[in-house]
Amino acid sequence: MNSLSIYVARESGLHKLNPLTKFVLSLCILLGGLAFSNALAGYVILFAIVTPLAMFGGVTKRMYQLVFNISWPLILSVFLIQSFFWGAGTPLFEIGPVSPKLEGVLFAFKSSGRILYVMANFILFSLTTRPDTLMISLKQAGLPSGLAYIIVSTLQLIPQYAAKANIILDAQRSRGLETQGNIVTRARALLPLVLPLVISSLLEVEERAIAIEARAFNSNRVETSILEIPDSQSQKTARAGMIIITILLIAGRFLWQLSS
Amino acid sequence: MAIVELKNVTYKYPLTDTPVLKNINAQVNEGEFVAVIGPNGAGKSTLCYTVAGFVPHFFKGEITGTVEVAGSESSKSNLHEWVLNVGLAFQNPFNQISGAKYTVFEEIAFGLENIGVPREEMIQRVNDAMKLTGISELADRSPYSLSGGQQQRVALTSILVMRPKVLVLDEPTSQMDPIGTREVFGVIRALAEKGMTVILAEHKVEWIANFADRVVALHEGEIIADGKPSNVLTSDLLAEKGFGLSRYTSVARKAKAMGMWQKERLPVTLDEAVEGFTLTLPSPKGRGE
Amino acid sequence: MNIEISNLHFAYPTGVQALRGISLTIESGEQVAIVGQNGAGKTTLVKHLNGLLQPTSGTVQIGDWNTKEHSVAKMARRVGYVFQNPDDQLFSKNVGIEVAFGPRNLGMNAEQVQRQVNEALAMTELSDKTETNPYDLSATWRKMVALASVIAMDTDIVIFDEPTTGQDAANIARIANVIKVLRERGKTVITITHDIDFCGENFARVIAMSQGRILLDGKANDALGQEDVLATTYVDPPQLTRLGKRLGFKETVRNEEEFLAGLKK
Repeated sequence: MNSLSIYVARESGLHKLNPLTKFVLSLCILLGGLAFSNALAGYVILFAIVTPLAMFGGVTKRMYQLVFNISWPLILSVFLIQSFFWGAGTPLFEIGPVSPKLEGVLFAFKSSGRILYVMANFILFSLTTRPDTLMISLKQAGLPSGLAYIIVSTLQLIPQYAAKANIILDAQRSRGLETQGNIVTRARALLPLVLPLVISSLLEVEERAIAIEARAFNSNRVETSILEIPDSQSQKTARAGMIIITILLIAGRFLWQLSS
Repeated sequence: MAIVELKNVTYKYPLTDTPVLKNINAQVNEGEFVAVIGPNGAGKSTLCYTVAGFVPHFFKGEITGTVEVAGSESSKSNLHEWVLNVGLAFQNPFNQISGAKYTVFEEIAFGLENIGVPREEMIQRVNDAMKLTGISELADRSPYSLSGGQQQRVALTSILVMRPKVLVLDEPTSQMDPIGTREVFGVIRALAEKGMTVILAEHKVEWIANFADRVVALHEGEIIADGKPSNVLTSDLLAEKGFGLSRYTSVARKAKAMGMWQKERLPVTLDEAVEGFTLTLPSPKGRGE
Repeated sequence: MNIEISNLHFAYPTGVQALRGISLTIESGEQVAIVGQNGAGKTTLVKHLNGLLQPTSGTVQIGDWNTKEHSVAKMARRVGYVFQNPDDQLFSKNVGIEVAFGPRNLGMNAEQVQRQVNEALAMTELSDKTETNPYDLSATWRKMVALASVIAMDTDIVIFDEPTTGQDAANIARIANVIKVLRERGKTVITITHDIDFCGENFARVIAMSQGRILLDGKANDALGQEDVLATTYVDPPQLTRLGKRLGFKETVRNEEEFLAGLKK
């Protein structure tokens, strides 16, 4: 993988949407979903909202693969912890001295629903939006170029730095540095592994700064973009609409909380 | 017509006592291909940065004398406008990739976006530049998936697309393998032949001898020689200082001392060496067939 | 201490078959250069010598140690590896401490460490820079610090990965000198290099690799004379070798002395 992005290029309706639209959509699903406290809420959002969107984007299978790969350890621990450490409740069955409680299992079920829809939402967004197109849209909406550059270049560079970290690890092990073992050994290995990475990264940053300066990065002329990022009035309206609905949902939830 | 003119340039990096460039006087004419040689630490990179404006605008420090390119003076200009006249590429190809772009095509357009070139013109210019440097087939690749030689050619293309008047290259093949070196030199040679003004800092002396119009030798911040490659690269001065000699020159120099090189002028390239040594060799025996 | 590689195969986790049955012996004190295009498997091969990589099949013996049975840190007692980029290992506040890092890791006592460090610094012309922070030195001198750090470990076998990349003539001469001293001390020196002139001038045995296999393995004069075979892995012969050939020399020459001797004949 050349950059820290799971983006998959496809000719889909979802892909063709303006990145800002997808950004707002994603954010609204995330925040709006939290307005519902029903145990099934997470699952409903996952199956009735996120999955159809994934189908619209042609990435359903990939999304589910990633969701399960990433979240199964978390969900498993949630179930184990909540059911066995619930305290007073309705025991389901006995395993020696301990027993899982029904209430714990139900709670875990609800939490898992939330975890799943949040993960799926974020993963769907990443699968269908290339980070640089999002940055360009945000820049066009007012985000400072410097900030946009830092975000996108960091995403692309993290795997490169991870590769460099491995080289440093190899180099220092070749000088007799032990990296496996007890906590003291590992602590001693920290500086020789981290310092070269930090220092050479700083040196590289200076050179890269020169390189982008040489490409007129600090020019005060108005920027253009080689990529055409289509947008439309209907999308703009939809974005505004989604934001309003989400605010209403959250406000509604708040008021409902206060009144009960 | 001098397009680059350095007059009495002396420069010290911040917080240092010794000037890295001492009283540099040099001119480059439009279309000339000038090679700059010198040991590491002689000031080649600093000289490149000075013509490109990064000294003093990026690095600060103290500079005296004047640096002029195409009639404008460096100290009176902004760096972001100066870079439009002078393109700069350097050793490490990886660090020249912006990181902001996911394809080579967009990476090359990055500079044009920054100066606000309209989209249709950008597309045209990027395609033309890629043809010039022979990387059109890399257009859709991720810049980070390329080899060193390919990355360096992308860096060169990204600078060329901005149509600088002068191209300054600081040891662009230092970190390349032989294939990458050949690729990069191929591009540089093609540009020079098209009439681009090129200043190239390099160690690979035989290649320079074949293609450069002029060689400037830097030693401890001063220019100690400035002239035709065949003169500078065979001079006693360089031999004395211990740099800038190709293996052919070096071995011919020793052969001359032993009476086995008869020509007045020492060779720099393989062909010159063959020509000269053929005269020395006793006729049938030396050919050994 | 001999190096014995038997039928070594190696495939990366991605499935790329990097080494396809390499067998070779390097005897104690030999000076070997490994050449070939990028991707031929040179670095992959050499990383097996100190255990950084483990064979998919086949064995690598360093003396009586099978690399499968010892950690990389332990193999560092017998095999020193100078990586290409010095900035990938420098981290100490001064050169002296940096060079002492390796010997200390190997468990040498304070006296031994001091002795090894002093010697290594002398060999690399760094004796006057012990108190300097490595990052205050130029790239040229940082390279020498990296070299000194590995030499100080006093291993029987030393591996150099592209030692001359980006170096000027003066530093290449220094590096050649270090290799000469190592040779005189009976160390086995193995280098990966693209600089074929450097290779011809300093190494008696040349191994050319291509696509995970050994193409050529022999005395430098023999190997470097085989232009056509070398060309298949994008290696040009050394400049003086080419000059000798063009002038019709009967024997392949690989450095100035041999060339000048060849002229006389």
